[in-house]
Amino acid sequence: MLQIKNLTKIFPNGTVALNNVSFDVQDGEFLVIIGLSGSGKSTLLRCINRLIEPTSGAVLWNGQNITEAGSAELKQIRRQIGMIFQHFNLVKRSSVTTNVLTGRLGYVHPVWSLFGRFTADDRRRALAALDRVGIADKADSRADQLSGGQQQRVGIARALMQEPQLLLADEPVASLDPVLSHSILRYLELLNQQDSITVLCSLHFLDLVHRYATRVVGLKGGELVFDGLPSELTPEKFKEVYGEEAEMVSVAPPNAV
Amino acid sequence: MPSENKTSLSPWLPAFLSLIIPGSGQIILSHKTRGFALFLAFFALLGLVLWTQAYALLAPLALLLIWIARDAYRLAKGSEPSWGVSLLLIGIVLYGTALIVTEVRPTRMITGLPNVTPYLRSLFNPELFETPMKEVVGVTPIMVPCVDPLPAPNREATTSPQLILSAPCTEVGDLLQVTGAGFEPNESGQMQWIDPLGSPRRATFDGEVVTFKADENGRFDVTLLVPQAVPLTAQPAPGETLTHAVRAVQNIPSGRLQPTQTLSLVIEKIGETIALAFLATVMGVIFAVPVSFLAARNLMSGNPVTMLIYNVVRAILNVIRSIETLLWAIIFAVWVGLGPFAGTLALWFHTVAALAKLYSEAIESIDSGPIEAVKATGASWPQMVIYAVFPQILPTFTSFTLYRFDINVRLSTVIGLVSDAGLGFLVVQWVRLNRFSAMATALIAIILVVAILDFLSSWLRERIIQGRPIISSTNPLVRTVLKTVIIVGFVATFIWSWNVAQIKLIELVKGAPQGLALAREFATPELFTRPTKTVAISAPLTVPCGAAEPSTPADATITLSADCGETGDPLVIEGTGLPPNRTVSVRWVLPDGGYLRVRSNCCDTDDDGNLRVETAINPIVVMEEGQTEPARVEITYEEIAGRIQLSETVRTVIRLSIVTLLMALVATTLGALFAIPLSFLAARNIMGDTPAGRTIYYGLRTFFNVARSIEPLILVLIAATWVGAGPFAGVLALALNNIPNLGKLFSDSIEEINSGPVEAVTSTGATRMQSLVYAVVPQLVPPFLAFIIYQWDINIRMSTVIGFVGGGGIGQQFRIWVSLNQYGAAGTAILAIVIMVWTMDYLSAKARERLI
Repeated sequence: MLQIKNLTKIFPNGTVALNNVSFDVQDGEFLVIIGLSGSGKSTLLRCINRLIEPTSGAVLWNGQNITEAGSAELKQIRRQIGMIFQHFNLVKRSSVTTNVLTGRLGYVHPVWSLFGRFTADDRRRALAALDRVGIADKADSRADQLSGGQQQRVGIARALMQEPQLLLADEPVASLDPVLSHSILRYLELLNQQDSITVLCSLHFLDLVHRYATRVVGLKGGELVFDGLPSELTPEKFKEVYGEEAEMVSVAPPNAV
Repeated sequence: MPSENKTSLSPWLPAFLSLIIPGSGQIILSHKTRGFALFLAFFALLGLVLWTQAYALLAPLALLLIWIARDAYRLAKGSEPSWGVSLLLIGIVLYGTALIVTEVRPTRMITGLPNVTPYLRSLFNPELFETPMKEVVGVTPIMVPCVDPLPAPNREATTSPQLILSAPCTEVGDLLQVTGAGFEPNESGQMQWIDPLGSPRRATFDGEVVTFKADENGRFDVTLLVPQAVPLTAQPAPGETLTHAVRAVQNIPSGRLQPTQTLSLVIEKIGETIALAFLATVMGVIFAVPVSFLAARNLMSGNPVTMLIYNVVRAILNVIRSIETLLWAIIFAVWVGLGPFAGTLALWFHTVAALAKLYSEAIESIDSGPIEAVKATGASWPQMVIYAVFPQILPTFTSFTLYRFDINVRLSTVIGLVSDAGLGFLVVQWVRLNRFSAMATALIAIILVVAILDFLSSWLRERIIQGRPIISSTNPLVRTVLKTVIIVGFVATFIWSWNVAQIKLIELVKGAPQGLALAREFATPELFTRPTKTVAISAPLTVPCGAAEPSTPADATITLSADCGETGDPLVIEGTGLPPNRTVSVRWVLPDGGYLRVRSNCCDTDDDGNLRVETAINPIVVMEEGQTEPARVEITYEEIAGRIQLSETVRTVIRLSIVTLLMALVATTLGALFAIPLSFLAARNIMGDTPAGRTIYYGLRTFFNVARSIEPLILVLIAATWVGAGPFAGVLALALNNIPNLGKLFSDSIEEINSGPVEAVTSTGATRMQSLVYAVVPQLVPPFLAFIIYQWDINIRMSTVIGFVGGGGIGQQFRIWVSLNQYGAAGTAILAIVIMVWTMDYLSAKARERLI
């Protein structure tokens, strides 16, 4: 179980990105975080694995306080938490396999890995992960030769290599076509259901939220303004999170994939 | 490219072939490029090893041969081609020989340190201001030794100030009391002893130098020892005496602090430097604009005639550009004489070519839409250019012009190395005179001038690129005033520069015949020679008759009218069977090898190869006492022997070209090796925001910017005193320039890396080192390679000129040939430089395409 307690982040320039946010995530949930750009979604996700240091508050994971973990301990925790990104964050000039293998860096020998040495087992694992997201044939291509949807699947494969118990997804489909969005989110759903990986995912489109989330939290100006089931997210609640001017838009239905 | 033809041959066959002729195995397996590359690499390296006689390097070369055979075997087996070990082996041999050729001796950097430390120390002690000093001197003569009667001294004593001595005469070793009066009150001074020849020495007492301090009335009392001022060999005769003198000197500051002569000279040369750069740029623009239109493909592709013009113009521009400005400066110095004018011409010439190329590329990249639209209105060609082309290219042109102005400022700081213009001239002069602090003043001036003008032009460039007006005020009056100021300022600067640069266009015309002759000589490089041998036929001539018996008889083809005689007797020399219509030399030859021509400008053979010379016996051939062999009369001529072959010049040029290339290679490698670690320390995002990180960041960035503004040519001067003149000095100077240069470019690209992948890799639980290797380094490889190749291109050009000031390579030989008036040989060097620069440009363009 992941517990977020009074999490606050104030950036050096004075911006309050998170203001006293608290909520719990049960194991096996597909939790979607909604909110406008700048509402603190990305900061929240990054405070969980401490890519951003929170100003105050605590993140407890299976009873362990992540915010107070030392650097070795933090690495141990990070390797159990996979993360995928809006812009995929692949090393564009490296091969797909190398990108996927970087997901293994928390496990391998810290010195040998500097010379590109990975065990045969890790390589098999990488190929299996790529196979799972359906792009095993692209293993030897350079990352920048892949389409956006394929790059995000490499990102998922990289996270899979970590054998994660928790997956953080920061706007995983915001840079993709609507059709591809469903394809990517389905992979996340599959991991959530088959591998029982808890998923924390920030999303923009409401129909995607309704389709995939088992629970929704809403952020506005760094504060928690909604916490409930997708079905409870009425147009009124939606306007509360996104502001009066917001209009619900929809993306293509899942069967169009 | 890999061959799919399943050859039925044994894989041992290509392996064996490659062992005999490296690369041939790969070629028959249809890996043609690979085969040729290996073949060339192997033999080029073998050549280098044999030339440098570094036979130890034959071992890695042998391993390379085995690798090539194994590679052929593996390819035949169908394996994927890889380079791996071969690159390592090639590297060992290449750098091994390169270090030998470029005479890299790191120990000299330590042993030479004492030579270079004065430079570094004086960098912090420039000669800027001084207080003028006034000397207050009192002198009184004294006779040594004492004689009776004492003659009058032959020197005058000063009366104000005045020195009163305890005795009018004294003996060596005695003590002398001196009282001074009328000196500058409360100021110290020094006592000196003047010998009879007038040379001063410091006066001593008890082994100490005697100094004094005048009291408030300007008086003092000192005691000094009378020195042995006259050498024992020049002592006066007994009873005689010599006039010595005692001298007291005070050096007193008088008047206000004022600039030193060094500073005034430096300021004058700063003006000259800027004037040269300014003039060359303005003149360059005026000529480059029209030329650039002729060199723009999209404007010239209309018909074959314009296309021909385009190609010719492009070719000329390329030739001009590939010859460094300093080489042009030497060539122009021969044409119009040494001085700022030759420097300006060289800068101007190079600027025209460089700007025309940049401009024409700007023209080629313009949007054709507006051109089409303007043409559609029925506009003429000039109208089209003015209304559709100019507006599009103006910002780019201005930006390129400012960029070139920066380069010209840098170049005009070094043009003085080959002429007497600009700051570089002062640096060279003062280095030669070992005036370190004066040189430091000039060096600091260079750094400041370059930095300030860089700043100004980048400020202007930014405004232009961002489309912001240069005059930001909206007040029409202020605008008009500012515009007038800018225009008047520009014109005034131009006129001033014209005067400073001593532009005398008449010199160009006056020097034209010489220039043309020069051009003709340059254009006839000495490529081939036929080896010749001297043929000599001779006959003995005994003078007087019977004085000796010749040991060798006369050759068959030469006859003398007499084989002996007296001085002045008529003599007819006849030769037969000589080459027809040839100038031959006829001379008296003595047995000891001395000779004298029978006649100057002698003589030509006739159509049948016969020669007849009438003369009289020269006194030189008269036999001397003890001489046993008579003199001879000799006819000599040159005869072609052997086949046509590369001239000595060409062989020298080829050898020096290789040295030059290897110098650039070693310098680029050293520069990159040192710049990479430094660049990480000079990158904001790596160093973080801690006080220590900030200090290192700003420290290194400042170092980069300062060190970059010193041209490699000036660094050569310093490197040559450090490790001695030669290729190593050149390599060292280039590397010292490359480290900050590459360091800045590298750290800029480190700062620009995408943080996304770093974030992603960190989030997997990777360590700092792991994220460096997996997320940072792969992003840095392409920009680093691009910058290294760019630096390599620059180094090739630079290493052709660093020889001018003691850096070795082909530039050194070029300068020697020019100073010896051997323009044909110098032309050969120029030809080699052009070929070398072009080849390397082509190769690096290819490498850039493949690697990045």
